[in-house]
Amino acid sequence: MVRKRHDKIRIGLTYLVTAVFLVPIVWMITTSVRPPIDYVSTSISLIPSQITLEHYRELIEADLMGKAMNSLIVAVGTTTLALIAAFPAAYALVRLRFPAGLDIVFLMFVLLVKLTPPISLAIPLYQVLRSMGLLDTLAGLIIVYQVYALPFAIWMLLGFVRDVPVEYEEAALVDGASLFRRLRSIVLPVMMPGLIATSVFLAILSWNEFAYALLFIQSPENFTLPTFIATLITEDETFWGKLSAVGLLASLPILLMVGFVQKGLTRGFGGGIK
Amino acid sequence: MHRKSGLLALALLSPAIVLFLALTIYPLARVLALSLFATDYGFEGATYVGTENYSELFGHRFFRTAAWNTLVFAVLATVSEVGIGLMLALMVNGRLPGSRFVIPALLAPYVLSTMVVTAIWRAWFHYDFGYLNNLLRAVELPPVEWLFNPDIAMLSLVMVDAWQTSPLTFLIILAGLQSIPEEIYEAASVDGAGPRHVFFGITLPLIIPYLFLAALLRSVDAFKIFDKVYALTGGGPGLATETLSMYVYRLGFKFFDVGAASAAAIIMVVISGLLALVYAYKLVGDK
Repeated sequence: MVRKRHDKIRIGLTYLVTAVFLVPIVWMITTSVRPPIDYVSTSISLIPSQITLEHYRELIEADLMGKAMNSLIVAVGTTTLALIAAFPAAYALVRLRFPAGLDIVFLMFVLLVKLTPPISLAIPLYQVLRSMGLLDTLAGLIIVYQVYALPFAIWMLLGFVRDVPVEYEEAALVDGASLFRRLRSIVLPVMMPGLIATSVFLAILSWNEFAYALLFIQSPENFTLPTFIATLITEDETFWGKLSAVGLLASLPILLMVGFVQKGLTRGFGGGIK
Repeated sequence: MHRKSGLLALALLSPAIVLFLALTIYPLARVLALSLFATDYGFEGATYVGTENYSELFGHRFFRTAAWNTLVFAVLATVSEVGIGLMLALMVNGRLPGSRFVIPALLAPYVLSTMVVTAIWRAWFHYDFGYLNNLLRAVELPPVEWLFNPDIAMLSLVMVDAWQTSPLTFLIILAGLQSIPEEIYEAASVDGAGPRHVFFGITLPLIIPYLFLAALLRSVDAFKIFDKVYALTGGGPGLATETLSMYVYRLGFKFFDVGAASAAAIIMVVISGLLALVYAYKLVGDK
């Protein structure tokens, strides 16, 4: 009996803590439709006195759509490039035999890149981009984002390639199927859920990235959403309605994918620990 | 599948190798070389100074403060995030109607862009109209200078980081809790073990690897912190929240002291390399 009551308290507490955890996000949603007079006050109410779309209108005028398009191009480009380079690498690391433990050396190197602070590569990367004429371009950003994306994609895809039963491929090999054929008609279809999960993570990673976008993009017309938000943050202290509106719009696509993230992350830990 | 495959392996790895060469090996070599010169951009017109950049850094108050702040931030953030994650996981683990909605809701802050998170919290930290001070005033407490008091700014930074990333530690630790077989608890309850005994005798020892993984992931990330400092405090007030990443950014991209910035960057790479060793040791040890 005591145990049951304990359980009820625990469940109630969980709901309460979850609600408190979400207050900043609720605040962002309601602030995006509040008139400025409302949020520049000492009230703690989260309910707007009246609904306004002026912040959204101002954003459209400030070329929000152009920034969102830049973010989308960079996210799609980064994800595609990372998958093209990471998938064959992951396949080789899982399926082929390497002399002298070179595969382990390679994986350790990938891990080191993953852990390296991005800022420590920023100076030479700036110079590389400049000499290639790719500074201040979205293409340049897609390339430097591989510093984050590639190690991540390789590590994540390793597990998914391992999950493809090697017997399927051996059977196809007996039938004389080439490597390309085996990849296309066996490995890729079987690991499609894994590829999609990896793509979602890569897209979120590049959609949200800030440091390199700040350092390598100068023209406002090439800004991605995070750099656009950063200029609003530092421009004026109380553009809260506008900031909330752009924050919400930048977050909606990824919040819709949160279930995906949960599944991918949970899987990752199981694999990483066992 | 295991045939003579050296060339094939090389072919399959080559796109990744090319990208790594261009984006990490060459830049690392270049930044290492630059760290031995006094220069404002590249090698043209640069003077070789040996390890002078390094010895100057170690003697410099700004660098030492940034290193100390980074350590303080990493420790505070990691401890609070693992602690909050553990509490959330213990709460959620077990019968929970609507857990299909609760867990994704708890995860939401983690997927937001750091700039969105910063935008929200900068407004919340505002002294006159910020939501936090409004809450304090509502319960008759004095308002706090969240970002402008040097003693508090670091804690505010940790608070934002904890809000954003505790969902990750929560999810890791929850996976750990859910991996514990129910029979162990049943056996313990037959033996009449009390809740405290169950927690310290059974639960905690079994989830230690998960706590360790969460702490490792968070400390590695906390060590790199840049975005939040840049947009929340700019390293201030004074040097109160200056971190190593901010310091490298300032030296390299604001003061154009590329030699010294490169030396500081190399020091960061060495430290993260040591963390990578711990990580690798753990991964290999578990296999």
